[in-house]
Amino acid sequence: MSIAGKFSPRFIVICVLAAMLQSGCTTEVTTRYFGLTSPPKDNIMRYVTGGEPESLDPPVSNSQPDSRIYIALFDGLVEYDPKTMEPIPALAENWDISKDGTEYLFHLRKNGRFSNGDPITANDFVYTLRRGFSPELASRNAYLGYYIKYSEAYTSGMSFVKGADGQFLLKRDFAENGATVPISEHDTLGGDSEFHRFLDSPERLYVPSDEKARNKMLDANPKLKAAIAGKELVPVKPEDIGVEAVDDYTLRIKLYQPAPYFLGVLCHQFFRVIPPKVVEQYGMDWSRAEHIVTSGAFKVAEHRPYDVLRVDRNPYYWDAANVHLDGIEFYPLDESTTMMNLYKAGRVDALYNHTVPAAWWEIIRQYKDEYLLQPEVATEFYVINVKRPPMDKVKVRQAFALAVDRDALALFRKTIKPLVDMTPEGIFPKYEEARKKVYTEELAKIGSTLEKWKARKFDGDEARKLMTEAGFPVVKSGDGWSCPSFPIDQVQITYNTAESNKAVAEFVQAQWKQNLGITITLQNMEFRTFLPLMNKVEYNGFARRGWVGDYMDPYTFLSLYYSQGNEGGTGWWDPKFDKMLDDANNTTDEMERYEKLARAEFYISQQQIIIPLATNGTSWMKKPYVKGMYPNPGTQTPWKFVYIEQDPAKWDSDVENIMETKDPIVEKQLADLKKSQEDYQNSKKEVTQAGQ
Amino acid sequence: MLSFILKRLLIIIPMALIVVSVTWGLIRIAPGNFYDSDKPLPPAIEANIKKKYGLDKPVWQQYLRTMGNITCRTMDADEKTENGVQFGLFGYQMKCLDFGDSLKYQGQSVNEIIARHLPYSATIGLLAYLLALIVGGTAGMIAALRQNSSFDYISMAIAMLGLSIPNFVLGPILVIGLALGIYLLPPARWGGASSLVLPVITLSAIYAAYIARLTRAGMLEIMRSDYIRTARAKGLSEWTVLLKHALRGGIIPVVSFTGPALAALLAGTVVVERVFSIPGLGNIFINAVLNRDDTLVIGIVAFLSILIMIFNLIVDISYGFLDPRIRYD
Repeated sequence: MSIAGKFSPRFIVICVLAAMLQSGCTTEVTTRYFGLTSPPKDNIMRYVTGGEPESLDPPVSNSQPDSRIYIALFDGLVEYDPKTMEPIPALAENWDISKDGTEYLFHLRKNGRFSNGDPITANDFVYTLRRGFSPELASRNAYLGYYIKYSEAYTSGMSFVKGADGQFLLKRDFAENGATVPISEHDTLGGDSEFHRFLDSPERLYVPSDEKARNKMLDANPKLKAAIAGKELVPVKPEDIGVEAVDDYTLRIKLYQPAPYFLGVLCHQFFRVIPPKVVEQYGMDWSRAEHIVTSGAFKVAEHRPYDVLRVDRNPYYWDAANVHLDGIEFYPLDESTTMMNLYKAGRVDALYNHTVPAAWWEIIRQYKDEYLLQPEVATEFYVINVKRPPMDKVKVRQAFALAVDRDALALFRKTIKPLVDMTPEGIFPKYEEARKKVYTEELAKIGSTLEKWKARKFDGDEARKLMTEAGFPVVKSGDGWSCPSFPIDQVQITYNTAESNKAVAEFVQAQWKQNLGITITLQNMEFRTFLPLMNKVEYNGFARRGWVGDYMDPYTFLSLYYSQGNEGGTGWWDPKFDKMLDDANNTTDEMERYEKLARAEFYISQQQIIIPLATNGTSWMKKPYVKGMYPNPGTQTPWKFVYIEQDPAKWDSDVENIMETKDPIVEKQLADLKKSQEDYQNSKKEVTQAGQ
Repeated sequence: MLSFILKRLLIIIPMALIVVSVTWGLIRIAPGNFYDSDKPLPPAIEANIKKKYGLDKPVWQQYLRTMGNITCRTMDADEKTENGVQFGLFGYQMKCLDFGDSLKYQGQSVNEIIARHLPYSATIGLLAYLLALIVGGTAGMIAALRQNSSFDYISMAIAMLGLSIPNFVLGPILVIGLALGIYLLPPARWGGASSLVLPVITLSAIYAAYIARLTRAGMLEIMRSDYIRTARAKGLSEWTVLLKHALRGGIIPVVSFTGPALAALLAGTVVVERVFSIPGLGNIFINAVLNRDDTLVIGIVAFLSILIMIFNLIVDISYGFLDPRIRYD
């Protein structure tokens, strides 16, 4: 009897189906590590960073993938702490901050050098910032530095107004009611200078240099128009910006109002120092691989666009002795499946955030030594167009917000945490502490409690009650609900095409149907078609939005809705909220400021201009032999801490606890770096005490 | 013949200009901009960007500027660019074929990007087509000679399969088997001969299948024609009949297929380049569209349209050599 005879075709089909079914059910992994796991022998890390970098010129790009490359290539005054992303000393050995928080004095290291051996001085930082703000460069990151005095005026092409008597008009004389920012008396840091006196004097008034824009502005403000008539306009120059090289190794930065998170912002690539000589010599071409000179731990060795960016150790780097890797290869890749394939085949050592495809998740999460899931400084929410009915009613907005079961959403999406607030959960512990206190107070005033407030994660009954109160009665129909009077044709969920966005939109749609009896239609759009619609608030109902914090402070989430014409994408603006934020930033005590911010957050939360959904999770992988690399909230890796461990006994394990685990090598390196500022502050304290 | 070639070459210019104009128009209609991101820009910064790229000028001026750059125009006195072909003419400094700088990738010209990424696509494309010709051509010929044999049935069944499995399915299957199952070949990225194997096989499958079927059909028809019977009657050996007489006519369908196919292959194939992360033109093209990198999109479209028209011309010319009955009058 032949084999074919023994096993009938039907039998074979059944066997195959059974085998497929079984492999579909059992997702338990049998190996400890995912795919090939052996450390690269040449001490060169291979990293997938996302798409092809736009440019190696730090102020140019504002994307997260590119920022990871800039960290390797350029050094700033301060650097990210690898775990918390808080600022630690880099080219600035230590610094002073004035009591009122508007003046920063940085003492630079004397041994800072560019990759061509040239020393890095305070003048290079001045050059870097003046160039960064220049209208010709048109940097998309410039707004991050707008707290620096007159920088916004320079970037926006403004002019000071000079009277016949040689005196400039002042902003405070034309401020609209309530918008004045009191600047308290402060201590001058780093000595007096003419430029400093200019910066320290009350802020000058500025108006657009462009005649058309100016007339438009003046027409709206007759008082200003009358005051300006016949006066000389003096364009704001790069030299007017509040950055000053006090001497070669002392840099002074002047803000127009306090911004307690400003030091953290300085870690951003926009503030990382570039070599003026090279930039002047080659213009925009300076950042090409053949010309580029860097200031960071690494320098460019080779750049083959869309293939690899290879960086090598920079021998002139001031902290070169503590850089572990000999080089890094950055691979620009777009397809997450391709990245995972390369990772499994042992051809890359780590991936960037959100790279594990949904279909792989069940398997990947079991690799406890490699899979990194931590909360991100990023939120996901639906913005609401509050200008168009019926979404102009607060109760309608609140009803929709309450009718989404966020715990179920988190279970469904797997890599996220439920969110009911404007700021992400588990990222700013001190702020959350302050917020708890404030919310308890505020809620007591309106006869509620913190428990009830937190229950906003999902409350179907309350949602139906609110919707009914708003004039759209929700009635029982069969097993579910219906809301026949709600104008469903005026509301949609619009999102940019992506698998995850679609899944969330369908989930939310089903929730609203189930809990309110309202079926909202979905509309998906290609990303760049979607963006203008959202940014200009031209959508109906809801639009999907994610926000990644620019720096480690809750303000980066709250400031989205600050000022008229804000970038919140909701059409909402409230001067009271602006005032609350300004007030908070004028507070120098950390906890007091957080409490004020929390009050602002409470205030805006009640308006329900967005529907918070989730705090994102990092969700990426690294091989266990890659050490000193952490799933910090912004997936920003300071590369000088990263090293490759050849000894399997010392590899990372159970990376779920990686943030708590102490790596002696990293801890020591970090402590050494932080010491320069700690010592400096202690010595200052001693002086003050001795003085007393 | 010469006038035919000249006529066809001249037609390429207006055709390419029409293609570019239509593309330019479509880009203008498409919403969104290269500088948009999920972080909205302050209006002043947006204005600076628009000014920097001349997007603040009236639409017709932008169009004329683009077309002038692409074809030929006199250079402005203060213009500093190394892009395009530059030469002096009657005391004017002229500049031709300048597609400008990429909007997204600062400091890189479109010409440079195309020149840099074409070789990757061309290597994979040519190798894939060569493989397809050898495998498909041989299989098709044998199938035609042994019509209705089991070889015929099996090879044509495989060819049918090759036609119906899309390369975004075949690629990952090969990766799972050969790159992740036994770690024999790299699963993606450019580098060394071993990295070419999977993308070339993936890319060639559909072409091999198509060529096999075209060759078989072409050969079957020719083998029944009168002049083959005459050749056999002369007493020529079967090999001579086959290679010297039948093949030339039999592969004409393959040749006409080769023109557009080769142009498409050289220019890069989006799916294979993305699955295997190859820095080819197809990958660049799709990213340029997604990034709204207008200048790069226009440059690649112009380049591709010219490439396709030239390949079609070459194909038309080669008919004459293959089949003496074809004339160019």
